[in-house]
Amino acid sequence: MSAAAPDDADRLESIRMIRDSAAAVAPPGGDLRRVRDLRFTGPGYDPAVLRGIGELGWIGLRVPEEAGGAGLGMGEMCALAEQLGAGLVPEPLIHAALSAALLAAAGERALLARVLSGDALVLTAWQERADTLDAPASPDGARRFLPMAGGAEAFLVPVREGGGIALYAQPAAGADLVLERTQDGGSFGTLRPALSGATRIADDVGAVLPGLLDDAALATAATLLGGMERAFAMTLDYLKTRQQFGKIIGTFQALQHRAADLAMQIALTRASVESAAAALDAGAAGDARRAAVSRAKVRATEASMLVTRGCIQLHGGIGYTDQYDVGLYLRKAMVVSGQFGGAALHRRRFMAAAPEVDE
Amino acid sequence: MDAIRIPPPAELDGLDDEHFRQVVRAFLHAHYPEHLRNPPKRLHWSENKEWYHILAREGWLCPGWPREHGGLGLSPVKQIILSEEYERHGVARTNDHGIVMLGPLVIQFGTEAQKRHFLPKILTGEHVWCQGYSEPNAGSDLAALRTEAVPDGDHYVVNGQKIWTTLAMDANWIFLLVRTDREAKKQEGISFLLVDMATPGITVRPIINLEMHDEFCEVFFDNVRVPRENLVGQLNRGWDMAKALLGFERIFIGAPRQSAYALSRLKLLAERMGVSDDPAFRDSYARLRLELEDLKALFGTHVAKLRRGESLGPDVSMLKVIQTELFQKITDTMLDIGGENGGLLEPMEGNRDLNIGGLYIQARPATIYGGSNEIQRNILSKNVLGLPG
Repeated sequence: MSAAAPDDADRLESIRMIRDSAAAVAPPGGDLRRVRDLRFTGPGYDPAVLRGIGELGWIGLRVPEEAGGAGLGMGEMCALAEQLGAGLVPEPLIHAALSAALLAAAGERALLARVLSGDALVLTAWQERADTLDAPASPDGARRFLPMAGGAEAFLVPVREGGGIALYAQPAAGADLVLERTQDGGSFGTLRPALSGATRIADDVGAVLPGLLDDAALATAATLLGGMERAFAMTLDYLKTRQQFGKIIGTFQALQHRAADLAMQIALTRASVESAAAALDAGAAGDARRAAVSRAKVRATEASMLVTRGCIQLHGGIGYTDQYDVGLYLRKAMVVSGQFGGAALHRRRFMAAAPEVDE
Repeated sequence: MDAIRIPPPAELDGLDDEHFRQVVRAFLHAHYPEHLRNPPKRLHWSENKEWYHILAREGWLCPGWPREHGGLGLSPVKQIILSEEYERHGVARTNDHGIVMLGPLVIQFGTEAQKRHFLPKILTGEHVWCQGYSEPNAGSDLAALRTEAVPDGDHYVVNGQKIWTTLAMDANWIFLLVRTDREAKKQEGISFLLVDMATPGITVRPIINLEMHDEFCEVFFDNVRVPRENLVGQLNRGWDMAKALLGFERIFIGAPRQSAYALSRLKLLAERMGVSDDPAFRDSYARLRLELEDLKALFGTHVAKLRRGESLGPDVSMLKVIQTELFQKITDTMLDIGGENGGLLEPMEGNRDLNIGGLYIQARPATIYGGSNEIQRNILSKNVLGLPG
């Protein structure tokens, strides 16, 4: 009987407050005009909104208070990511938060302050290939899949040196950066690091980087949860109003049972994400931490695709148009579900990390 | 084990949850008959009464009943812990309809005379109850039931037929939903009646199920005379009363233990078949394990609600659907890797833990009983998602 959510009333209240404050950027049921207007533009997000997010303290939500952050837990981070996922917020909070946590661990306060305030988007260029959660950190390998990289002021580049992983900060100006457009209207950047123009800011972040990538994977699962839930809510509204054969289509049992199946996937995802966040906040370490994160990411990745494509099907033809919002959620899920490791990767990781089944 | 003292029944609900769990383990270790662990089929009264009487003697028979009526007065969360530990230990179900269904009904809706008469006889095992709800034409549509009770002087005269009556051949009393008003809307003409199985006109006929087990019966009523005082609650309010009894116990049907047990059997089978490291099997097994872990997490959210003193909503139906369909997927996979062994009637190599075909068959009714999974999806779509009827 693992508690899926914290029973502590103070924690629940803290998480509720974060949820409410997210309405400032992603009002529940708000229209998606801003999101649409930013699609397929450079840099794909609004720097002013990123500053607003910084002012709300969200980029440093997990950063310790003595480093200028809010020092809150994964429960709060997941609640926030979920709300932003529901609103399809394009500002790359999770990636900015990863860089902030890394800078805090490295003790690099000047750049950290600009990241926390949202004045600078700094992306961590840890990834050398698709579908991984490992940072091989080779000195000359291209760094891939940097979201919204066109707006970045600098990149953090982990590089394996000696027995550890050194961290460099490379300015974006003059960098060899190539952008590819993504399904959600944003972009992925590929950076060819040039360490000659970079500043070495930490000797070894090898002890903290894997844990921070796990945090990012779990927050990404929460983003997917928020997105699938909103897409499903839109679909339920449609089932309750659309008429065919002289009846509301939500009265048809074939559609009702499909909707019930999607609702169960969403419930499992919520339980999985919230129990993983609670485990991390309770201090789960090592294999237990990795197993909890991977379990949630598997569920969120698979359920987000199942639910959003199911929502298109339940809408019929209107769901296949770009002007109708439900398709935005499918395309967002296509981009986000692969980030920080896909389902197959996390299944293998879960099996390697999880203790045997309790008989 | 010997470090744990088993406190008297009245003190159990006051223990903290983890201490209580240890006490239950110690209790089972001290009292549960070893030869009754993990029975392959549901046991008859002749086989399980030994355990029933031990529970009665120790005062542990009725976990959910208030203490004033001879129960343990356990909170919902403690009842769940108790059930988890029983299942972990492989404790056989008793003929428990009196404990789980009738007792709570009489306590909530019965007269003082009914409480004084019936409750002590459940506690001693003198009355063994069965439940007469379903009929041949009233399964998922239970409110369509037609077995009728017509007043005649001091009696009702009952005519009709019940089916899927679990262990009716073992029971000496049956509680019935009967139609008492043919003109009313179908839910509003149903009453709750208690019937002595020794009354003339009752015939019990066992049904052999796919397990080759006579777990269910048909029960026929031919002009059976039942004293009027055996009506429980108000006339024509039986449907509401039966529904009111569906409390937090609905969570039990979605408890993860059944699937956890099946998964441990799958792992053992994979080792025996030499496929534990086969990538295709590993992938299937990983998916089933993850489904089980997420089911546990979802179950945990409902338990947390009970812990906070909230009642369960209609979304508890999700647990039943997810749990039973996972149970079936696990047994599908057993058949898949077991090859010809899946066709064996008896356990493989005489090992009860490798009963592939048996477990596969046992998994079939899980998606049918307790409200079929199709009915559960109807409930979810109407009562949780708010889709129109």
